[in-house]
Amino acid sequence: MSRCYLAWAKDERIREKGADGGFVTATLVSALETGFIDIALVVAKKSVYEGIPVLTSNPEVVKECAGSLHGAPINLTKYVVEYAAEKRIGLPTKPCDARGIIEQAKRRQVNLDNIFMIGLNCGGTLHPLRMREMAADFYGLDPDSVVKEEIKEGKIFLVSKEAGGKEKETAIKIDELEQKGYGRRDACKSCVTKIPTSSDLACGNWGVPKGEEKKTFVEVLTAKGEAILKNAIDSGYVCIEEAPGEGIEMRRKIEAGMQKLAESWKERIDEVNALSRSGRFDFYVDALKNCIHCGACKEVCPVCACEKEAKCLDMNDERDSYAISMYNVLRIFHLMDSCIHCGQCEDVCPVDIPLTLIQRRFSERMQRHLGYTPGMSVDEKPPLYETELRWNAESMMK
Amino acid sequence: MKVISSICPGCSIGCGLYLAESKDGEANKMRVLHRKNAAVNEGKLCKFGTQLHTYYEREALNDTVDGSEVEQKEAIKEAKGRLKGMKPDELAFVALPGTVTNEEIVSLVALASEFGCENISFGLERFFRGIPEEARYIIEKGLPFSEVEKASRIILLFVDPFVHYPLLARRVLKAKKKGAKVVEVSFAKNERGIADETVLVEPVGLERIKEKKDLFEDSLIIGELTPYTDLQFFELMLWLNASTSSRLFLLKPFLNSTGAFLPGGNSKRRKDLFEIIDGIERGEIKALYLLETDLAGAMLGDERVTKTVSKLDLLIEQNAFRTPLSSTADITISSEPFFMKRGTIVNIEGRVLEVGGQSEKGLQITESMGKGRTYEEVHEEVKRKLGLAEISEFELAVKRKERSFEMAEPKVEIEERKGGEGYFLWYKTNPFFWNNGIQSKNFVEISPAAMRKLGLFRGDEVVIVQGERKGRMGFKISELPDYLILSESKMSIKPFEGLIAKVEMRRRDCETTQEKINC
Ligand SMILES: Cc1cc2nc3c(=O)[nH]c(=O)nc-3n(C[C@H](O)[C@H](O)[C@H](O)COP(=O)(O)OP(=O)(O)OC[C@H]3O[C@@H](n4cnc5c(N)ncnc54)[C@H](O)[C@@H]3O)c2cc1C
Ligand code: SF4
Repeated sequence: MSRCYLAWAKDERIREKGADGGFVTATLVSALETGFIDIALVVAKKSVYEGIPVLTSNPEVVKECAGSLHGAPINLTKYVVEYAAEKRIGLPTKPCDARGIIEQAKRRQVNLDNIFMIGLNCGGTLHPLRMREMAADFYGLDPDSVVKEEIKEGKIFLVSKEAGGKEKETAIKIDELEQKGYGRRDACKSCVTKIPTSSDLACGNWGVPKGEEKKTFVEVLTAKGEAILKNAIDSGYVCIEEAPGEGIEMRRKIEAGMQKLAESWKERIDEVNALSRSGRFDFYVDALKNCIHCGACKEVCPVCACEKEAKCLDMNDERDSYAISMYNVLRIFHLMDSCIHCGQCEDVCPVDIPLTLIQRRFSERMQRHLGYTPGMSVDEKPPLYETELRWNAESMMK
Repeated sequence: MKVISSICPGCSIGCGLYLAESKDGEANKMRVLHRKNAAVNEGKLCKFGTQLHTYYEREALNDTVDGSEVEQKEAIKEAKGRLKGMKPDELAFVALPGTVTNEEIVSLVALASEFGCENISFGLERFFRGIPEEARYIIEKGLPFSEVEKASRIILLFVDPFVHYPLLARRVLKAKKKGAKVVEVSFAKNERGIADETVLVEPVGLERIKEKKDLFEDSLIIGELTPYTDLQFFELMLWLNASTSSRLFLLKPFLNSTGAFLPGGNSKRRKDLFEIIDGIERGEIKALYLLETDLAGAMLGDERVTKTVSKLDLLIEQNAFRTPLSSTADITISSEPFFMKRGTIVNIEGRVLEVGGQSEKGLQITESMGKGRTYEEVHEEVKRKLGLAEISEFELAVKRKERSFEMAEPKVEIEERKGGEGYFLWYKTNPFFWNNGIQSKNFVEISPAAMRKLGLFRGDEVVIVQGERKGRMGFKISELPDYLILSESKMSIKPFEGLIAKVEMRRRDCETTQEKINC
């Protein structure tokens, strides 16, 4: 186990606004103010159902963005690639953000030395519109009256503003909601990476002892993580104390429990398993034939580093009269070793193709076979990746 | 990186999205991001929406008078002066409402009335004529998508939702999952097999749909209405609706089609787009004001429109971007791109949506020539006309109430193919869709029989001929009747009957060696 701490923001306002003591925010603020990083990428709250990525060098903006938004299922990888490739950047990273960034680093799209990933443990995100429906149908609330949400102790808490300005808290067990088709996105329910061990730090509330609320459990994972933490402590922005042994154990147990639950969700969500061989084929054709070639899945994919010239686009000719296009087939194969199953593609698919499930069915088996889990270590090359060979060929030609 | 919340202006669905703007050296770089909390589309976008930034990257229009660049104030003053010099009947205003806000529409109507002019077109006026008062709501209002999802029987009437309105396709698929029966009435079977039942109609037998009236009982009929829709066919759709227990939902290509007619009003005396073009042709209309409308670009057979418009004494273009007519316009006045506008639109479902920008530039151009009102004053008028208290994307503010009406049985006449020769070209989309923004496909679909008959091989091209008009395209083989050609792309072929055009087709011969290589 690496070094684990309980940490919190010294500034009371940040501590109060932060999800669990504002450690993440305070660390980013201190890194900006001391020039440790040039820029921070955070998520601004528009409402409990909407978070917008914000790239800023203004510490005040970072402070405004403190808090966790479970109804903002965004992946931050492509923002780092597109807008901050040259800068020293700090950002909160859920496991899928961190895994995306690691995969982009392997593909030389970003320089990991310049990226400080303040990891967030993640039990999952909710689709904002399903969350609105959930608020109305299960909590009996006007969705627009919900001002706060929180996930703790296996429950989703919604705080609504009642007439007269009083706040009311209602909590329902996640299990209960999910049995009825609500709760977290399918990709999150079946995600087994709950602690972002490929980040520089891993932060969360798991492991924070009862009665110690407004503290963040922080695990230091890399030298960069240690450096940004030291910077925050030295500049007087955060306080830390040694994490208690029972906290560490509690966190480990919760993680293991969540992973077990995720494995069981994989089974439950996978409707293809129950089908016969020909039934499976029909399932894929039925789902994929609806593709309208909008290209959105490729655009948002945190792992894909191809630009306009890409195999999936180049080798697909819409004039071909196949029931399903080469675009989809190529994407499935191309991502087989590297898909992190974050579900971004499915979220944006205009014809609701169950892309996470389809990708998972192909890639998980392949990844298991190859003994490779994408996004976990920058030193592990994607098994189907050929760049190094090309580089060798290039250097031979010189 | 600045992220703004916006609405896609590609069609009447009005999907929500974000536009991220950043500096790339000196240049501004824009990217589309998915807004998953958008009530209309849940963050999903079609091809146009996904590439919306390229639509905004077109060349900006500048302010000119008689070809010389001037200050905007001067262009506006000159426009007002010259419009005043015309007789009311000689004036016409056209705003195809793809990127026009409710506020701009209300302002344009007020401006026209300042000049005593009734000739305003939002593209669909002629359909209001000669139909019962009780049927007008079908043109004016669409339907919430939740109603599509709830339907137990859906008829896709010459609409392929995967091509026309992809964000509707998922709603039809959802209805199907819940047990709805989907029937397509079409010239050709949908290649994705969305329908449980296909009723194939021959173009010359369009009239015979009437005999299949029972098919439409207890259904939600989904059709489309565009400026090119054939009037007889439109009446047929209304008749099918009037004479069965069905609901008729007409999709429209322009983002603000609903907003145009509700706050914009629709007096029966107003001229239609084609009547305005005919009026120009006959020399009766001498001055034309185009508001955010790429008239030549959007219509099939641009050259004819360009030629007709050249007969005008005065052409004023108010637009964010240059159009093919900009260089011949007497006065051009630059407005802001749609995403920058402060204002509202009404989508096909009846949601009043804020565009998301802060600029009042476009609105203030027409207001400074007309009533001189503030944004707030015009916006209040819009709210009054729509009966709105608050604006929320989650409210279906413009509701439609089904009404029954009577329609005389219409006649639909389609010219026979001479001796069974030739082909019918069916435009599967229309040139107004996506604001003529992207050319979606560079090929047409033809039957295997047509391919054999023309001796075509992979990589060949076909030439489609309609009198003097010609179009050159690649081809794809689809399961189609032998005589049918499907196109999702704009060509200069005009659909005579609103839906289809009679054409000839041949293999494109390559004369020179270079051409052969290019073939
Ligand atoms: C979706 C989500 C699920 C989580 N689930 C768990 C869990 O199950 N168990 C657990 O121990 N911890 C979980 N966390 C982490 C926890 O909620 C706190 O973020 C963490 O303890 C750090 O607290 P803090 O007060 O230091 O963070 P803060 O100072 O509040 O900083 C949080 C940072 O996260 C950013 N952010 C907010 N929403 C998102 C988002 N959707 N995606 C990316 N960044 C975002 C904010 O902009 C801010 O910069 C989750 C966090 C998120 C965002
Ligand atoms: S064109 Fe229509 S369907 Fe496509 S993204 Fe824009 S509004 Fe949505």
